[in-house]
Amino acid sequence: MSVHLGSQTTNIAMTAGMPPKRVSRTRRATFFAFVGLGTIVGAWLSFIFLSENGMRLSEWALLAVFIPLYYQLNIGFWTALFGVWLMNRSQPDSLDLWRSLTAEDYEQPISASTAIILPVFNEDVTRVFEGLRSIYLSLEATGQSKNFDFFILSDSDKASQWIEEETAWLELCRQLKAFGRIFYRKRRKQINRKSGNVSDFCRRWGKNYRYMVVLDADSLMSGALLTSMVRIMEKNPGIGIVQTFPKQIAADTLLGRVMQFAQALYGPPFMAGLDYWQCGEANFWGHNAILRLAPFIEHCALPPLPASTPFGGHILSHDFVEAALMRKAGYAVRLLPTTRGSYEEGPPTLVDMLKRDRRWCQGNMQHLWLLFAKGWHPMSRINFLHGILSYVSSLLWFLFLTLATYLAATPTPHHEPQSILAEKILLGLTAMLIFLPKTVILLDEMITGRMFKSLRLRLLTFVSCLCDTVVFTLMAPVLMVFHSRFVIYTVVGKTVSWVTQRRKIDGGVNWLEIIFTFASVTLLGVAWAALGWFVSPGFLPWISPILFSLTVSILIAVIVSGSRSGRRFGIFLTPEEYDPPTVLKTMTENLEEIKGRLQLAPELERHFGLMQVCLDPYVNGLHVSLLRRRRTIDVSRGYLDEIAQRLITQGPQTLNAQELKAMMHDTDTVSNLHFRLWSAADHELAPFWATAIRQYNLAASGPFTHTLAKREVE
Amino acid sequence: MEAVNIQFAPATGTEEEWNEAYARLADYFRSYQLHNRIRRTQLILETLRHAAAAHAADPSRTPTAHSIEQARRMLRVWLGSIYSDLNLNEAQLEATGRLGFHLAGGPSRWPQFFLDEENMPDDMAEAMRSAIRTSGPGMQVSKMTPRDIDLGMFTDVAEDTFDRLGRQPILRYSILAVIVFGVLGYLYSLFS
Repeated sequence: MSVHLGSQTTNIAMTAGMPPKRVSRTRRATFFAFVGLGTIVGAWLSFIFLSENGMRLSEWALLAVFIPLYYQLNIGFWTALFGVWLMNRSQPDSLDLWRSLTAEDYEQPISASTAIILPVFNEDVTRVFEGLRSIYLSLEATGQSKNFDFFILSDSDKASQWIEEETAWLELCRQLKAFGRIFYRKRRKQINRKSGNVSDFCRRWGKNYRYMVVLDADSLMSGALLTSMVRIMEKNPGIGIVQTFPKQIAADTLLGRVMQFAQALYGPPFMAGLDYWQCGEANFWGHNAILRLAPFIEHCALPPLPASTPFGGHILSHDFVEAALMRKAGYAVRLLPTTRGSYEEGPPTLVDMLKRDRRWCQGNMQHLWLLFAKGWHPMSRINFLHGILSYVSSLLWFLFLTLATYLAATPTPHHEPQSILAEKILLGLTAMLIFLPKTVILLDEMITGRMFKSLRLRLLTFVSCLCDTVVFTLMAPVLMVFHSRFVIYTVVGKTVSWVTQRRKIDGGVNWLEIIFTFASVTLLGVAWAALGWFVSPGFLPWISPILFSLTVSILIAVIVSGSRSGRRFGIFLTPEEYDPPTVLKTMTENLEEIKGRLQLAPELERHFGLMQVCLDPYVNGLHVSLLRRRRTIDVSRGYLDEIAQRLITQGPQTLNAQELKAMMHDTDTVSNLHFRLWSAADHELAPFWATAIRQYNLAASGPFTHTLAKREVE
Repeated sequence: MEAVNIQFAPATGTEEEWNEAYARLADYFRSYQLHNRIRRTQLILETLRHAAAAHAADPSRTPTAHSIEQARRMLRVWLGSIYSDLNLNEAQLEATGRLGFHLAGGPSRWPQFFLDEENMPDDMAEAMRSAIRTSGPGMQVSKMTPRDIDLGMFTDVAEDTFDRLGRQPILRYSILAVIVFGVLGYLYSLFS
C-alpha cells in the first residue's frame, strides 16, 4: 500500500516508521537476555549467601524483595550501556528516525497542517506566553510556519489568572501580527483535567489538522525541530507518536541545576538505549511530542477506570495509556533522540519535586488495572510495569533495608567459602551496576566531548559528575522514604488534588515548609540508627550512609533548594547554559525585561487581572467579547448582582474563587460591573477599589502589556 | 461636535460632589489611554454638562453616577453608529466597540475623534469594524469516544501475552533459555 502525501511525490509505504518485527525481536531478545541474566545471577548469588544455614521466612522475604530491585537495576544498567554502544558504533542505527529524512526532504515545503497545543492550568502567564513567543518566532525563522497554528487551552480556575491569560493572548497576537494563528480557548469546566482538555481540543478542531504537537506550560521547542518532526511524520505514516527528549533548562537552584546537568550528560545515552529496545513501542511522556491526530481521535480516548480514586476513576498518567492505545491501533510510538531543540523546566526544590512525584506515583499505580487488560502489545505491558516499578521499587528498597536490619539482629554464621565468595561477588556486581553506567558515560564524554569540546569544560564536567554523585547519594534515601509513603497512601486510598506545579522559587528557601515536610524523615533516621546500634553495632556502618541522609534530610532539602549551585565555578554547566539556543535566549531576554517593570501595591498585583477586567475598558471589552453568551436564569441574576455588590463595597478578598468565577462567566455582570465601579462614589467603594482607581492609570502604560515584553514585529 | 463651554454651573449638587465627579471622569477617560489632554478635558466637560442636566432631573443619584452613565450613553451612541450594520446587543456592542477602538490603534491614531459621532473619519470606522477578533478558528466537530478496555483476568492476559510471545520467535527464546540456564548451571557447579 502506498500514499501520496502533500506535495511529495514519492510513494511511501503506510507502515514506514514501524520497525520490522525481526529487528525489534532481535533487539529485545538481546537486551532482556542481558537483563534476565544479570537478575538471575544476582538472585542466585543472593540465594547462595542467604541459604547457607537454610532459608528462614525472613530470608525468603528478603530474596523476594531483592529480585525486582535487581531487575530494575539491570534495566537501567543495560539501557545505559546499550546507549553508549549505539552512540559510539561506526555503523549508523538502522532504526534511527533522522535517517528517514534526506537532504531533499528538507527542501520541500511543509503542507501538512499542524496544531501546537499548550494546555495550561493556573501557570505563570508571563512564562507561558513568552515561551510561546519564542517558539513562534523560531518557527517563523524556518520559513515553514504557515501551516502551524497555536492553541492555548486554558483550564485555569482563578479569575485573575484567566483575565491575564486573555490579555497576554491579545497582546501577543497584536505584537506578532498573529491573529488567526494563535488561538485561546478557556474551558468552563475542567472535565478530566489535562487529558480532558486535550480531548476537548480534538473534538472541536482536531479534524482541521493532521498533526498535533503537545507542549507543557514550561516547554520550549525550536522551529527547526518542530518542522523536522512534521517531516518525519510525513515520511513515516506508520508512526502515531514521536516523542522527543526534553532537556531541562533555566534552573536556578542547586537541585534544578544538578538535575539538568545529569539529564544533559546521562540523558542522551539512556535515550539511545531506550530507543534500542523499545523500538516501535516506546512511551509518550505527555509533552514535547508530535501525534498523528486522526488515529489519536479514533483510538486514544480514555475511558474511566473501574472503582473510585485513587486506583480507579479518571486516568491520571494518561500519556502511557495513550501510547499503549496508539500501539494497539497499529501505529508505532517512537522516540526521537535529540540533543537540542526540545526543552522543559524542572521543579526548583525538593518539596516541589516530591509534590510532582506524588501525582506521578498515583498515576502510575493506576496502571495496575491496565497491566492485565486485554489486547495490549506485550511491550506496552512492560512499559506499564516499569512505570509502576519506578515508585514501588522505593517501597521494596525500604522493605529490603528493614528486613536486612531484622536479619542483622538475628544473625546466622557464614563460614562456607562459597557463601562468602557469593557475598563478595554480589557486592562487586551491585556496585558495578550502580556506578559503571555513570563511569562509562563520563569516560565517553571525556573522550568524545559530545557536550563540550574544550578540555577545561570537559574537566569541569568530570568534577560536576563527582559532585552530582554526592548530591544524588544524599537525596536517594530521602526519596525512597517519600516514594514508599506515596505508594502506601495510594494503596490506602488517599487521593491527590490537581495543583499547579511551581517552576521557580520566589523569595528564597521556605524553612517552615521544609521542616514540616522532612521532620518525620529525620526522626525515622534517628530512630533507625538507634535501633541498628541496639541490635547490631557491626551492621550499623553498612547502612550508615542511608541513615545519615535520613537524619540530615532537612539540611539536604535546604541546601539543594538554595540558589548556591556552583554556577560561578562552572560546576553543573550544561550546553544550554554555556551556549543558549536562540529559542531560549529570546525567552530569557524577554523575561528579564519584564522583571524590571514597575510593580503595583502587592494587593493590587495579587488581583491584577480582576482589577483590569473591572476597571479597564479595553480588557473588559476583550473579556466580554470572548465569553460565550448563555441564558441566565432569574435566580442566578439575583445571586450575581449580590456578589458583584459585595465585590464593589467589600473588595475581592471577601469573595471565594467560585463566586469570582461565576461572576466572570456572565457577560452582563462583567459588562455592568465596569460601569458600576466607575459610577460608585468614593465612600461607596471598598478601599481596594479606591486605591486601584487612583493607581491603575499610573502603573499601566498599556492595558495589555503588564505580563509581556514589548517586542513589536515590523 | 459643538464648541465646549467651559463655564459649568450645575443647578443641583455640591461643589465637592461635582469635583469628585470631575476627578472620576478624568480617571475614566484616562483609562481609555487618551493621552491628548485637550481632548480629554473637552470630553470631561461635555459629559459633566449632560450629567448636570440629568442630576437636576434626578438628584437622588450622585453626580459621579450620572457622569459615568452619561459617558456610557455617549459611548453607546457613538459605537452604535459605527457598528449599525452588525446585530449586537448592548453588552456586545460596548465590548466589541471598545476592543475594536484599541485594536485599530484608536487611542494613538484618532484620539480627537473618540466619542465624536459627527466628525467620524471613514478609515477609523472601517478599522474598528475590521478589528473584530475571535479567539478560536471555526469548529469542525469530531467524535472522540472512549472505547471500553477489557481489563480481563490475569489468566486471560497471561494466555494472551504468552501466546503472542510463543508464536513466532520460539527458536530465539529457546536459545536465550539455553544460555541463561547454561550460565546458571556453571555458577551452580562453581559453588557446589
